[in-house]
Amino acid sequence: MNLYLPIAEMSVNVFVLFGMGLGVGFLSGMFGVGGGFLMTPLLIFYNIPPAVAVATEANQIVASSFSGALAHFRRGTVDIKLGVMLLIGGITGSAAGVAIFSSLREAGQLDLIISILYVVFLGTIGSLMIVESLNAMRKARLQPQAATIRKANRGWITSLPFKVRFHRSKLYISVIPVLVLGVVVGLLASIMGVGGGFIMVPAMIYILRVPTNVVIGTSLFQIMFVTMFTTIAQSATNQTVDIVLALILMVGGVIGAQFGAQVGQKLRGEQLRALLGLIVLAVCLRLGWDLVNRPDELFTLGFAGGH
Amino acid sequence: MRSLMAFFFVITAFWSQSAFSQEIQIGLSNDTVAISSSFDGTDLIVFGTIEGADAQRLIDRAYEVAVVLIGPLEPVVVRRKERRFGVWVNGKSMRFENIPASYSVATSKALDEIADQKETSVLQIGLQNLQMAPLVEDADSVDARTFRESLKRIKTDKALFVEKIGGVEFISPSLFKARVPLPASVPIGEHRARAFLFSEGKMVSAKSVSFQVRKIGFEQFTYDLAHSNGLLYGIIAVLVAIATGWLANVIFQKD
Repeated sequence: MNLYLPIAEMSVNVFVLFGMGLGVGFLSGMFGVGGGFLMTPLLIFYNIPPAVAVATEANQIVASSFSGALAHFRRGTVDIKLGVMLLIGGITGSAAGVAIFSSLREAGQLDLIISILYVVFLGTIGSLMIVESLNAMRKARLQPQAATIRKANRGWITSLPFKVRFHRSKLYISVIPVLVLGVVVGLLASIMGVGGGFIMVPAMIYILRVPTNVVIGTSLFQIMFVTMFTTIAQSATNQTVDIVLALILMVGGVIGAQFGAQVGQKLRGEQLRALLGLIVLAVCLRLGWDLVNRPDELFTLGFAGGH
Repeated sequence: MRSLMAFFFVITAFWSQSAFSQEIQIGLSNDTVAISSSFDGTDLIVFGTIEGADAQRLIDRAYEVAVVLIGPLEPVVVRRKERRFGVWVNGKSMRFENIPASYSVATSKALDEIADQKETSVLQIGLQNLQMAPLVEDADSVDARTFRESLKRIKTDKALFVEKIGGVEFISPSLFKARVPLPASVPIGEHRARAFLFSEGKMVSAKSVSFQVRKIGFEQFTYDLAHSNGLLYGIIAVLVAIATGWLANVIFQKD
């Protein structure tokens, strides 16, 4: 069944898009990740203009993160104060990102930058996941009981000024790394159309040393508000949020996530991470190949902005 | 009686030819092309008659017709990918003003059989006669030509530029029908349908009718809102997302 997307201005197959939402939702439920970093490239592969894919994906993430954040909020596993600090950084980063997005689009380099960022991030994260999970699997074989808790030194982080106490997380740390992390995630949300959980969760655990029980809830809390802000800012500045496309993906996504979560509980953590790492690397390679391979059509028609 | 009719025919024919009063009249299958959620491209049908023409010449099929549909004019930037540091990036670009967003032409015969090149070129009938000059100093350079050809090629690949020889069909000697395709990506706005009547390689009459391509219902509302009040649109998009997320939370809650 074909449906005309009012903003992307193209006719698409609803079942294909719904299936994509379902599939990525399944993976995100299974692995406990947002899925934006898989969905945006898939939309681009489906010929949705990258500008629309990125902005619309931010809108979809509002739905999935709201659903998740609500559950965590009920369980009380959200550090609101830390979340708000991250959010201040996040909104700053997102506002800057939307402005960068507009100027890149006008210069005709938006698609390229989106692809390069994806290749860099997906390549790094995919490789790290595979290495880390292989190590964990090897360790688990040697000493079945040993949990891999890294007592990393907080080092330079503790020496920074402007310390604030976060009661829920039992932390007394500088706001600088918190704000910087928020800015980075906000930039990623607006330029790449991702929630940024894949950066924020490890950074909160390993750099800020936030207790793991509040990490997911707090990051979802921040992602939810940052993607809300990004959706509104993209709509107001670039008119690239396609609400019809977003709705198809949201519905597919939330349904898929339920099934994914059930399957995820039956699989072991290391295997899951290795599998996700492979998927991430596959998407990275595909995007990378498109960058270096000589395109069939060297010319493109562009948006002639400023009029 | 018969001879009287024939006499009349001759008289009118003589009169019309001498006065060059043969005229083309056209009508469209619809004045508005509506883009709804199920829109997947359509055909616009242009009907036309040749009035006041020489009857003998009509019977001899001495008239040829070309129908052109022209979309709204807009500026276009054409960019060329170049290899830099092993990666294909957008390099040189050229800006073109007043490029029809879509351009379809249907003719009763091959263009060069209808009229001579000079005539079709002046009237801008046919893709090769479409005037598209880039905003560069030397609009006739090899580079400018490459960019212009690429613009045409890409628009043609996207079915936005269409040439359909034989797309004009004569139903009777004086009545014709042209079926011109409009692709799924047809640009919204005011379009024009132009019909040209040719006789002996010369354009003898032309008519132009405008029609609207617009989104209707939900599509129109969404598009208009996004472009007139992006802020409100964004807020609505967020509310829709919150409602979906909340519903999912309620439906799938386990406890």
